Amino acid sequence: MSEEPSFYQTPSSNRLKGIWAWLLTTDHKRIGIMYLLVIMLWFSIGIVLGILIRTNLMFVNPKLMEAQTYNALFTLHGVIMIFLFIIPAIPSIFGNFLLPIQIGADDVFFPKLNLLSWYLYIAGGILAIVSLFLKGIPDTGWTFYVPFSINTQTGVTLSVFAVFILGISSMITGLNFITTIHRMRKDDMGWMQLPLFTWSIYATSWVQLLATPIVGVTLLVVIFERLFGVGLFDPSKGGDPLLYQHLFWMYSHPAVYIMILPAMGIISEIFPVFARKSIFGYKAIVASSMAIAIVGSLVWAHHMFVSGMSDVAVLVFSLLTFLVAIPSAIKVFNWVSTLYKGSIYVAPPLLFALCFVFLFCVGGFTGLIQGAAGPNVHIHDTHFIVGHFHFVMFGGTGFAFLAGLHFWWPKFFGRMYNFKAAYTGTILLTVGFIMHYMPMFILGLKGMPRRYYTYLPELQPMNFFAGIGAYIMVGGLVVVLINLLASFRRKESVPADPWGGTTLEWYVPSPPPLKNFVHEPVVNSYPYDFPKKFHEMKSSGNSANKGV
Amino acid sequence: MGNAVKYVDDAFIYIIVFSLFLLVVITATMVYFVIKYRASKHPEPSDIRTNWKIELIWTVIPTIIALGMFYIGWQSYIGLRTVPPDAIEIDVTGMQYAWVFRYPNNKESESVLIVPQGKPIKLNITSLDVLHSLFIPAFRIKMDAIKNMKTYTWFYADKIGNYTIFCTEYCGVGHADMTGMLRIVTESEYSEWLNKK
Amino acid sequence: MSEHHVDNTGSKFGMWLFLYSELMLFGGLFVLYAAYYYQYTTFFISGGKQLDLFLGTMNTVILLLSSFTVACSIEAMRKNSKKLVLLLLGLTVFFGILFLCNKYIEWNHKFQHGIYPGSAYMEQSAKGLVIFFGLYFTMTGLHALHLLIGLIVIGVCFFLCWSDRINAKDFITLDNSGLYWHLIDVIWIFLFPLFYLIL
Repeated sequence: MSEEPSFYQTPSSNRLKGIWAWLLTTDHKRIGIMYLLVIMLWFSIGIVLGILIRTNLMFVNPKLMEAQTYNALFTLHGVIMIFLFIIPAIPSIFGNFLLPIQIGADDVFFPKLNLLSWYLYIAGGILAIVSLFLKGIPDTGWTFYVPFSINTQTGVTLSVFAVFILGISSMITGLNFITTIHRMRKDDMGWMQLPLFTWSIYATSWVQLLATPIVGVTLLVVIFERLFGVGLFDPSKGGDPLLYQHLFWMYSHPAVYIMILPAMGIISEIFPVFARKSIFGYKAIVASSMAIAIVGSLVWAHHMFVSGMSDVAVLVFSLLTFLVAIPSAIKVFNWVSTLYKGSIYVAPPLLFALCFVFLFCVGGFTGLIQGAAGPNVHIHDTHFIVGHFHFVMFGGTGFAFLAGLHFWWPKFFGRMYNFKAAYTGTILLTVGFIMHYMPMFILGLKGMPRRYYTYLPELQPMNFFAGIGAYIMVGGLVVVLINLLASFRRKESVPADPWGGTTLEWYVPSPPPLKNFVHEPVVNSYPYDFPKKFHEMKSSGNSANKGV
Repeated sequence: MGNAVKYVDDAFIYIIVFSLFLLVVITATMVYFVIKYRASKHPEPSDIRTNWKIELIWTVIPTIIALGMFYIGWQSYIGLRTVPPDAIEIDVTGMQYAWVFRYPNNKESESVLIVPQGKPIKLNITSLDVLHSLFIPAFRIKMDAIKNMKTYTWFYADKIGNYTIFCTEYCGVGHADMTGMLRIVTESEYSEWLNKK
Repeated sequence: MSEHHVDNTGSKFGMWLFLYSELMLFGGLFVLYAAYYYQYTTFFISGGKQLDLFLGTMNTVILLLSSFTVACSIEAMRKNSKKLVLLLLGLTVFFGILFLCNKYIEWNHKFQHGIYPGSAYMEQSAKGLVIFFGLYFTMTGLHALHLLIGLIVIGVCFFLCWSDRINAKDFITLDNSGLYWHLIDVIWIFLFPLFYLIL
């Protein structure tokens, strides 16, 4: 590789100096890093709130907080983790940084719009903070269900508006990626040469683009309702709260796929690299991504089986819910089969990915229980649901996020982290995770509702146990994150391709130069051609670095 | 008559058993592959890219399993929705933060629901203010309470005893305290209570 | 890796994606309309009769004309006649302002009759009417907001054309702004019969 300076040394425009080289940059890589910074900040806040909640629940008669405080905390935890962490995390960080490189482009199609997205994200975050201090912390839960969200005195208007702004940011990012993938691929890169991560971002972007406006307008109506009392969702004026729920979930269920699809994309990249073998069933994985995006947009009302909607609707949505499980299952089978007859090296990213598969499967299977109409009635709005979506969102998306962070960290920063600490952290995190969330299934089956600051005394031991798990889990997370940060203290730099990957980002220096590519990239006719990769590595005489 | 609970539990068991089995198979296969094909023992990877027969098999079989789960889940749901004709109808009103029950002779009780043993009970549910949800875990029933709307649920009061009632739709600061008690008593005890001033 | 790519097809593609998302935004409200129309049909009919059909029709004509002038301005730009472009864009802005004036008169009239969300009069009205007017104000209000943004966009285009930063060689900004203006028109074409012409 040549000595070209990395994008850290080259601002996107020569006029930009110092901090402005970051704040006014149009370089997709810098914007990705800026997202990483802010998103990790929000993630940390979300974790602190979460651990406060669980500490409170470790004892039946909590001394830690009042009901109102508890309600505010779970609302904040939900809003932050969903709108400020999970939804933007993978598309905005990894999508921004890697998608243009994976398709052989020098930037996204609308670089300025990309920067605007970041500012809207920041604005949304600031608004969310401001809303806390003006009229009291919102206490509606992240779902903002009417009529409670219309009646409550706390600062819901502003926080709903913050979510609206964050929605626009997410939508613009989606628009940008779709255009980029359509218009800026290398000429010889057809759709079947796209890396699977790019494919998953593509499917996600469509959902972001088309579903976000629906929740946008729904939240606008909630704001109008609070400001002017238009009555559209207020039952005392003739409005129908069920319609709010329909419109809300019409976005917010697809939003679950905005969260999980890119995660699946990351896992689909990691498995082949560390099995040193082509992904099994490339086309099946692509097709299942698109199927999830499409069918996933048609299952929203499975959040509403006990909401008073008609039994026919329950029938239809229960059936569709079981159908959307199939493409996810296909992906899992394909990942596991990728390992078959591979030559497997369990580096930290793969360890995360393996844990992901297990945890995601638990989340998926418990999802089936909820999709079944009869059992759903019992477990709806209990701790079972809390367990389920944390398995999918944290065990799924969160673990994939960490896997991706470990996978592409050397690419982002040109530094490798310590492997031993990464393994220790991962195992602590996974063990703590299971100890923390598994008991919630049992608590839910025993009838412990969610959003309760207290519970029946006989459930105390299990809640206490779950709390211990939470502390172990957070401990593991701290180890993992500090280990990543410690990599900056290392002096040795990382080669362009520390793992032996086949997609284009492994053919550019770590970190990449401003225009991404030193040489014109060569597109493989098959994106996961490992025999060819081995041949290349043998002829150039360097083998994949196995780290430290 | 008390089969609704049993059907729901059967559906639970059916889905959980299938899921556990698949989970164990998937995880065990994954771990087995990781150990068997570790780089130190298996340095040369094969180049297998796809196999449409296997893809087809693992698309069709999960679909069949999923449809089976859907069917059994739906059957149990029907049990929860089909009210026997001889059910005693009780009106339930949720409000911030209490449940009020009104019996056929217009007697009202707050937070305590008293019903006679051996009878199906139909609950007609509504709300005075925000959303609530009536949840009696022992009978696997739950239904939202919505202002200006009527919803219903039912259960068969088969065993004498006390059972907890929860509110499971978040409704504000007193949400966690909006609990109640279902008391199933003997028929005579019930009518004595009902006709007492 | 071209140094500076000019890809007008791509810009237009992006614009179309944006228009889809706008359609979904209003789509959410149309879903609400459909559901409430089904529930309160008779009130919707009597509510519709209270709206000013004359002003509504005027506004429809005005918007159609403005869409026509925008389309013509793009054609004029293609033929490189700057004066005509400026005239046509000026006309578009004029029509847009006219539309908003009419809207103001219409809303003001309603307000004077006590018909606005949360008014004492509405509190006493039937629920179906409250919902009808709630939808009316929400949907036409959101549409008017879009039109206001459209006006700013067309206004900016006007100055860019004036200073030759939009010219016959590079007028994708004007093209895309025109698309946005048409979208505003199309949405009105749906709103008009839904509120003014229900039988």
